[in-house]
Amino acid sequence: MRFPASRKIHYDSGPNLTPLVDVVMVILIFLMLVGSFGASEHFLVSNLPIKQTGPGRTTPPAGWVADTTLEIRVDPRGAGFEAVAGRIRVTDARQLEEQLRRMLEQFQQAGTPPDKVQVIIGPGKVVRYEHLIRVYESALSAGFTKVAFATSH
Amino acid sequence: MRRLPMPNIREGGVNVTPLIDIVMCLIIFFMLVAKIGITTGAEPMDLPETILGQKIEDLGNTLTLNVHRGQGNQPRVMYLPKNERINREIKLSQNEGGKIHHPLLEVLKAARRTNPRFKVIIRAPKDLGYELIEPILQACAAADLNNINFTTAQVMELRPE
Repeated sequence: MRFPASRKIHYDSGPNLTPLVDVVMVILIFLMLVGSFGASEHFLVSNLPIKQTGPGRTTPPAGWVADTTLEIRVDPRGAGFEAVAGRIRVTDARQLEEQLRRMLEQFQQAGTPPDKVQVIIGPGKVVRYEHLIRVYESALSAGFTKVAFATSH
Repeated sequence: MRRLPMPNIREGGVNVTPLIDIVMCLIIFFMLVAKIGITTGAEPMDLPETILGQKIEDLGNTLTLNVHRGQGNQPRVMYLPKNERINREIKLSQNEGGKIHHPLLEVLKAARRTNPRFKVIIRAPKDLGYELIEPILQACAAADLNNINFTTAQVMELRPE
């Protein structure tokens, strides 16, 4: 039995894409399973100040000149925190940032550049890490470049 | 002159061109965004949130320390040892036959000796007290490390008008 359609000329327009789709699908599934995503995380870079006394003491290198230090004392207050730096006493990260910015201006007017000021955050033992990071971020936002943690009080 | 008829065009199945377009876009997206082959030992936790922050490009020179609240209000530090795939606990100090060892300090010192660009990444949940993070910072200081990075969750700045 003959079918008239079988005598007609057939042609495919373009190459056969089926193997390509197979391979591409395998790659896609592999990437989806193996890949991990860390795009929503970043890092606050800290330095450890050179200390010649205490538990974290280190030997200073030759010719080392100590930076001007600015201590920020942080204590828990209710559900938040209280930060004290010199005459500054604030309970809000944004206020702290503004006050620290003014202090940095004063340092600069006195001829001390920001990279010669070592900010030292001195937390109480039970201060939450979250609040310390807020204080840390406020110091960075204010323009200080060297921020570190001290031993607890 | 004999006129040749046009051949019949027969579509063989479903048109997969749009599918390939989408799949190719997805593959390029995953290749750009996904971090493949970088295992830092970072454990999922409720990190503190910050607007500021930097990216670390050379994650190969880092050691991630995951700090949790352990028994007796002591820090429990988890890290990924070299050439291993599962995180292990590392003690700050332990008594072995009457002799006090400091495993974390020893690991940090060894890493610092062999790699001058070595840096530490500290991951801790936001509700942790400083008393549990402080011993790790002291170990870093004792190992003469001066590059310490705190992992935070990135948030967008929302300032009121």
